[in-house]
Amino acid sequence: MIDRFIERLTRWIEIALAAALVIAVILNFASVVGRYVFGVAVVGSDEVQIFLMVWIAFLGAAVVTWREQHLRMDVLVGFFPNPVQKAVRAGEAIALFVLACVVVWQSAGFVRQMMAVDRRSDAAGMPMAVPHAAVTVGFLLIALIALRRLRR
Amino acid sequence: MSFALGVLPVALLLLGFPIFLVLLASVTVALVFFMSIPLTVLHQNLYGSIDAFPLLAIPFFIYAGELMGRGSVAQRIVDVVQAGVGKVPGSLGVTTVGTSAIFGAISGASAATVATVGRIMVPAMRRAGYPETFSAGLITAVGAIDIIIPPSIPMIVYGAAAQESVPRLYAAGVLPGLLIAALLALYVMWFARRHGIGATESFDLRRLARSAARGVWALGAPVIILGGIYGGVFSPTEAAGIACVYAAFVTRVVYRDIPWREILDAAGTTAIFTSQILIIVACASVFSWLLTVNQVPAALVGWIRSLELAPWMILAVLNVLLLVVGCFVDPLSAILVLTPLLIPIVKGAGIDTVHFGIVVTVNLAIGLFHPPFGINIFVAQSVLGLKLPVIYRGIVPFLVLYLGALVLITYVPDISLAGVRLFLAH
Repeated sequence: MIDRFIERLTRWIEIALAAALVIAVILNFASVVGRYVFGVAVVGSDEVQIFLMVWIAFLGAAVVTWREQHLRMDVLVGFFPNPVQKAVRAGEAIALFVLACVVVWQSAGFVRQMMAVDRRSDAAGMPMAVPHAAVTVGFLLIALIALRRLRR
Repeated sequence: MSFALGVLPVALLLLGFPIFLVLLASVTVALVFFMSIPLTVLHQNLYGSIDAFPLLAIPFFIYAGELMGRGSVAQRIVDVVQAGVGKVPGSLGVTTVGTSAIFGAISGASAATVATVGRIMVPAMRRAGYPETFSAGLITAVGAIDIIIPPSIPMIVYGAAAQESVPRLYAAGVLPGLLIAALLALYVMWFARRHGIGATESFDLRRLARSAARGVWALGAPVIILGGIYGGVFSPTEAAGIACVYAAFVTRVVYRDIPWREILDAAGTTAIFTSQILIIVACASVFSWLLTVNQVPAALVGWIRSLELAPWMILAVLNVLLLVVGCFVDPLSAILVLTPLLIPIVKGAGIDTVHFGIVVTVNLAIGLFHPPFGINIFVAQSVLGLKLPVIYRGIVPFLVLYLGALVLITYVPDISLAGVRLFLAH
């Protein structure tokens, strides 16, 4: 049940991130066309593209965690006996949960500060809490996935 | 501190932990137990490392390659190269080299080239009587050219880590990439002549013109990407974005290879692949920052200086180090962790950092097909159905060729730097 929910959630995230990438490409194209064809700059375009990439990086990392597609060097572990392999995987899930919680704790504090001072980006005027929250949300999902893996 | 920055990461890496987790764990342990710096630096560095416009070129180039790989672009490039190669010995092998070099100028990911070009060329070489070990070794090794010929994702990451200009690195990568392609093509011709493998069809100008007409849109991609960058029209990131629009236009509108839905599907695949890379970039940047504040690079430079090595010896030592690391760790992680350590040494020895960037890239390109863990080996095994022992045996001569090229590129800096003078003279 929970696994099915996470599976569906990650699929929706993937679609959202795909749309974010396409929007970034369109903004990039519009910037170039604006500069060379119309002689005008699309204000804030570069910033928004970067913010979209930040969300792709951290939210996508949660999807990669769920699908177990992170880059790793696991050839050596393959030679370990089965119980040792299971112990290593459990250790990995614990480390992932603890470290993701540390990042969420720190990152949430940072985002709260950004919101308190209403810090905005220079060109697009977007609240800086929005891109910074990508770190919090991404690692929160990673922590939940690690917890689910531990319970299994 | 040496536990957190040395023992722990190596142990976790060997235990098969994800690379981003290895770096994050080492950093957190160092900050919590060995340093009195607020943990806020974790968030600041994780976010700050990704908050960079040049890095946008990574998802854009991957997306352009993904779109081009899904259509008939590779087949059209094969047809043009094959028609141009004509009746030379081992023409199919030479076509494989030429196609990979051109595809490398569109995509920035080596594994994609092995899969896309391999699916077309390996069965063709099998039918033409090429030994399986030869075609397996060729396709596994030739894909590595992809990260040397621009656009190259490892060069973007090196540029960010070494604070070096990406257009300069791209200009410097052209001649080394072509040198390796030429060496591989010459070896293929020698091998084919020695084993009595004939050519396919003789050169025919009309056939070349027909293939070129069919493939003109496919061949336009590298012209737009590299011409735009070297001509000073676009920044690498803008060129990458233009490449995406061009790839979508060519595969959907001109060739009608893929439906609209697949354009979004390719974007999803790209986004996930991008986050695989960028999460490592983020964590590696915190790790590098920690190395710097603990003055590890300075200590390393001091130690190397105390050995009083000549620059050529330093380059030899660094080559061995990079080759060994490249056999076990993926190129991007290796660049992110090692570059901040190596750049002060390289600068201290008076070595050009653009030239060194190419040396690093060639070393790590070799790691892509070097046994036992080269990623291209596993791509050739899973996508092309080739057997591991066959690939391992087939790789050996190509490995020797790449090492020969590496020596030339390392000790003749002009092979790299002439490209900078040639393409960026303005």
